[in-house]
Amino acid sequence: MSSAHVNDGRVIGKRMLRKEDARLLTGRGTFVDDVVLPGMLHVAFVRSPIARGRIRSIDISSARDLPGVLAVLTPNDLDPFNVKLLSFFFTPAMSVPVPLLARDRVAYVGDPVAMVVAQDRYIAEDAAALVIVDYEEEDPVVTIADAKRAPPVHPGMESNVAAVMGIEKDDDLEEALTNAPYLLTRTVRHQRLSQSPMETRGVLATKQGDELLVYVTCQSPHLVARYLALALDKPHLSVRVIAKDVGGAFGLKNHPWREEMSVIVGSMLLGSPLKWIEDRWENLVAANQAREQEMTVRVAFDGSGKLLAAHSDYSLNNGAYPQGAEANIAVHMFIWAAYKMPQLGFFTRGWHTNTVGNGAYRGPWGMESLARETMLDIAARELSIDPIEIRRRNLITKADQPCTTPMGLPLEDITPAECLDKLLEVIDVSAFRAGQAAARKQGKYLGLGIAVYIEPTGAAGQMAPMTGELAHLRIEPTGKVTALMSTHSQGHGTESTMAQVIADQLGVAYEDVTVFEGDSSRGGFGPGAAGSRQGVIGGGACRRAAALLKEKVKRVAAHILDADPESITVENGVVIVAGAESKTRSLRQIAEIAYGEPARLPPDTESGLEAQYRYDPPPVTFTSAAHACIVEIDADTGFVKIKRWLSCEDCGTIINPAVVEGQIAGGLAQAIGAVLLEEAGYDSRGNPLAVTYKDYLLPAISDVPDFEYVHACTPSKSEGGFRGVGEGGAIIGPPTLVNAIADALSPFGEVPLELPLTPTRILELIERRPLTGKTEAATTATSAPATPMTAQAGAAQAAANATLSSPAATMTSASHAHSAVIGGCWNMVLATPVGPQKIIGRFNTEGDVLKGVLESDQGSQSFAGTIAGNRLKWEMKVTEPMPITLKYDLTVEGNKLSGKVKMGLFGSANLTGERA
Amino acid sequence: MKPAPFDYYAPRTIEEAYKLLAEAGGGATVLAGGQTLMPLLALRMSQPFILVDINKIDALKGVTRVTNSAGSRVERRASGGPQGEAQEAPSTSATRIGPVVRQNEVIADETLRRCLPVLVTATRHVGHHQTRNRGTIGGSIALGEPAAELPATAAALGASIEVRSVRGTRRVRADEMYLAPYATALEPDELITTIEFPDWPSDTVPLFREVARRPGDFALVGLVGALAIESGRISRAGIAWFGMGPVPMKARQAEAALTGQSVAALDVQSIAELAVADTAPFDDRHASAEYRRTVGRRIFARALGEALNVRQAA
Repeated sequence: MSSAHVNDGRVIGKRMLRKEDARLLTGRGTFVDDVVLPGMLHVAFVRSPIARGRIRSIDISSARDLPGVLAVLTPNDLDPFNVKLLSFFFTPAMSVPVPLLARDRVAYVGDPVAMVVAQDRYIAEDAAALVIVDYEEEDPVVTIADAKRAPPVHPGMESNVAAVMGIEKDDDLEEALTNAPYLLTRTVRHQRLSQSPMETRGVLATKQGDELLVYVTCQSPHLVARYLALALDKPHLSVRVIAKDVGGAFGLKNHPWREEMSVIVGSMLLGSPLKWIEDRWENLVAANQAREQEMTVRVAFDGSGKLLAAHSDYSLNNGAYPQGAEANIAVHMFIWAAYKMPQLGFFTRGWHTNTVGNGAYRGPWGMESLARETMLDIAARELSIDPIEIRRRNLITKADQPCTTPMGLPLEDITPAECLDKLLEVIDVSAFRAGQAAARKQGKYLGLGIAVYIEPTGAAGQMAPMTGELAHLRIEPTGKVTALMSTHSQGHGTESTMAQVIADQLGVAYEDVTVFEGDSSRGGFGPGAAGSRQGVIGGGACRRAAALLKEKVKRVAAHILDADPESITVENGVVIVAGAESKTRSLRQIAEIAYGEPARLPPDTESGLEAQYRYDPPPVTFTSAAHACIVEIDADTGFVKIKRWLSCEDCGTIINPAVVEGQIAGGLAQAIGAVLLEEAGYDSRGNPLAVTYKDYLLPAISDVPDFEYVHACTPSKSEGGFRGVGEGGAIIGPPTLVNAIADALSPFGEVPLELPLTPTRILELIERRPLTGKTEAATTATSAPATPMTAQAGAAQAAANATLSSPAATMTSASHAHSAVIGGCWNMVLATPVGPQKIIGRFNTEGDVLKGVLESDQGSQSFAGTIAGNRLKWEMKVTEPMPITLKYDLTVEGNKLSGKVKMGLFGSANLTGERA
Repeated sequence: MKPAPFDYYAPRTIEEAYKLLAEAGGGATVLAGGQTLMPLLALRMSQPFILVDINKIDALKGVTRVTNSAGSRVERRASGGPQGEAQEAPSTSATRIGPVVRQNEVIADETLRRCLPVLVTATRHVGHHQTRNRGTIGGSIALGEPAAELPATAAALGASIEVRSVRGTRRVRADEMYLAPYATALEPDELITTIEFPDWPSDTVPLFREVARRPGDFALVGLVGALAIESGRISRAGIAWFGMGPVPMKARQAEAALTGQSVAALDVQSIAELAVADTAPFDDRHASAEYRRTVGRRIFARALGEALNVRQAA
């Protein structure tokens, strides 16, 4: 097989066997737990059995005395390191500090309280069971509904709002919605999911001298190294991170969190290599989870099904310690991006609860496609328009571009309408409809679901971690090619796909290219697998670096062989001079001279054959797709059988179709799990309900059909024409399947937009009567009596609500305060969508006129505004990340300053500050 | 997920094994295939002082055919059900299965395929191929998971379970074995030594239906049984539910209604009603009680209808 590929000189676009598969499929990969260091000790955590409470005391004496135990560490041991846990954006993860081990209070079941270090994991767990923690249990805040009414989870916060953006009610938009011929309102609920990577979290840390060496299962060793350096913030500390093989991550392993950081700090404290491998129970209880969210969407249409306006009100359960407090702004960025939507708005909030924190999960903003595509189908049914037709009437087509979405996203080459057309070439909808009608007469319920979307991939250049990618290439003196990359595979196959790109560009055999990644000391910074970016950016970097290297080969060969560089080609590892067969040389012959005989090189030429290139792609590269799914529902049991699933995905130039299809299939499998099976829930006391795979139901081979793929290949504007394809299946899969189920069940009524669609939920619709038992967990959790509130707590909540719902009111009362000194220098923090941003403000006052300058990492900008009493107002225009006018409205009280910054459609962000 | 410390024994004989159990005074757990026990140990939900591994006891393995002399002693509990008579008719022959027979051995065994096709069908639904390589019939019978296939199959087919201890040997009827979820009539010092299934007439129709979230999961609803048919009439019926109550639930009213009935005259729906009347389904994460009841009624009617159609066509 391989020789055939070499012969025609092109391996891009071919189903090359993956280089990593031999070791992975024979159990010879090197994962964190395979790494053994001399003197290595093992860690087990003592975890909270309650969701919320005060720690009265911890007694570690029996645990410490157990033979084989070396230490039992508590916050008193780790806190002096003053570790600052950051978000993915390298900003403080939350507005209150995130502890490594719980200090004084526990905030969820599984909250790490103490850490046992022992000679093996068995003893460590024996000792963990001997640590006696005396808790004073409190009533937990479990659901989003709880969070809205209960006192704050974190004592340092004024409410449970972790993040808020957008505008709750915009008068113009409200008018457009109410006056529309047809307004559809639905609430979509997505359950909480566990990312469930096959390899759980794990870390092995050792510090020797100034070098901290960390083996950790992650999505980018470079990003983890940078994160550790920032979080530990120690002079003279060098950090090296290694992750050779990783068994899936899906967002969970974007960056280290409390446990990994505790182990790293513990190893520094004890001077011994420490290993912690998360077990599956810990992974399902204490690893951050994702998705628990609800969204009420209002969409207005005209009589012909054309979109007029939309508003979405969204809430996300952030848990106690999210890996970055967030309101999931991306949901609102992308909800209507592929459609002609004249007017839209949103209000989005993240909520703290006494549950494990929110983390990233493949397609983190996927709720947008679920809500939009399912509601388009409902609208189509209610307006008696074909679901395909309602999309065609609203999708942005080639002819509509370039254009800019209401959220400011420039579009120039999205192809959702074209993908839909292509999909319809391979699925005979009218034949299906005839068969569906016939089947219904026999009591068989078939359904067809279609969904369309675009996703942003390969983002770079606008957020701290989202950089370009580096490829360092060399042709070794042996003639073989080595690549050191900042890409990183958790199963993605970048060792192979990057080699395909390099092989083609350099003119060498795929087998002769070896890609090394997984070590922060190799290559350069890159955030790895996050945001479907490696093919786009890593692939571009490989092409550019290979082009530079090939140029050098030609230059050197031309000089050595006395030929015109233009006449030289490199094919299959052989340097050929056109019209001079006797001058044919192997790359090895050229390389031996390039390294070993510098005197034979052209003047002023560096010896060796090495090149590197850091590629920065366009800010975003969009991928488009349309999917279709056919299901049959057993009306006796409510079971869904997926009969066919077709994907038409436009990921530009395809490097390896097998890898692309693997990405789509993996995402779709997770989508099927989300729609039908998976649910990580809590009872009303905050106890997790799915703590083993007996209760957390992942899709198995029998639940996942053989997918059919159609590839649309519209080259992108990025180098090589690649588009990202890492998350799409997980985003478009849920609405495709829900739409198919809803279509099948349309004779019975409307399917609730509430995942998972369990057999009980489906049979309820078929039976038209409630089947839900009163002890079912979700019901208990949401209908639990309101958390008893003390008068004081009630007042605190009222205050919190007042702040939330009417900032103006708070400010008015503040303005009665004594007039303040405004001029001078202020240290301010703005809560932006990507985390808190530090700003220094220098203010000058001249009567009612305020003049000043704001300085941040992004640079400085001056402004002029007004002063009324102690209230300051000004406006500033910014161009990055998009053109927007920022409206500041602040109030000064003594040496403190607070208020809001209105950021166009993004709504208001809180700003606080104090005099420098 | 590492087990708490325990002492491990791997006796070679039944006598050694039950002596270890007696000496442990309730602190021992028997390890057969380990497909449930090992995860429970790893989660520290089970923390025995002593683990008695019975995998090396050859006397607990193998499938044998026996011809019982009339009056083979089957101990009856005071609470024995009304349907006992049919099963206690002076049985002619039976199949004895050692508790350490692997589930995949059950599926592959020629004798069992011939004599107990329902047991073979039910066993195919136990876990997954990989777990069945290790999981045993005795382990499944001893655990008493209310949604498991094999305890219900044993109860439906009138099996009896021979148990031994230092105190002697006794037999427990399978339909009296289960007291509550995971609670059985086994005393802590007793070891299952044989599971004996009586022969059913050659003209017996199998019944089996299971609804599970995914293949290999514990059932949301399941039913298993056999109908012996003589000259167009049902001469004997044995039916039990799994996943429909705290223990395997015998469908005694349905059995009574079926016994003696002409196949041609059966009202499948009303018998399904009777069958569901003997259940006590529960709510859990995977399905509500009312779901189980609704689907149980339907799969019972489907299974019975299809089984008898097959019969009529033959």
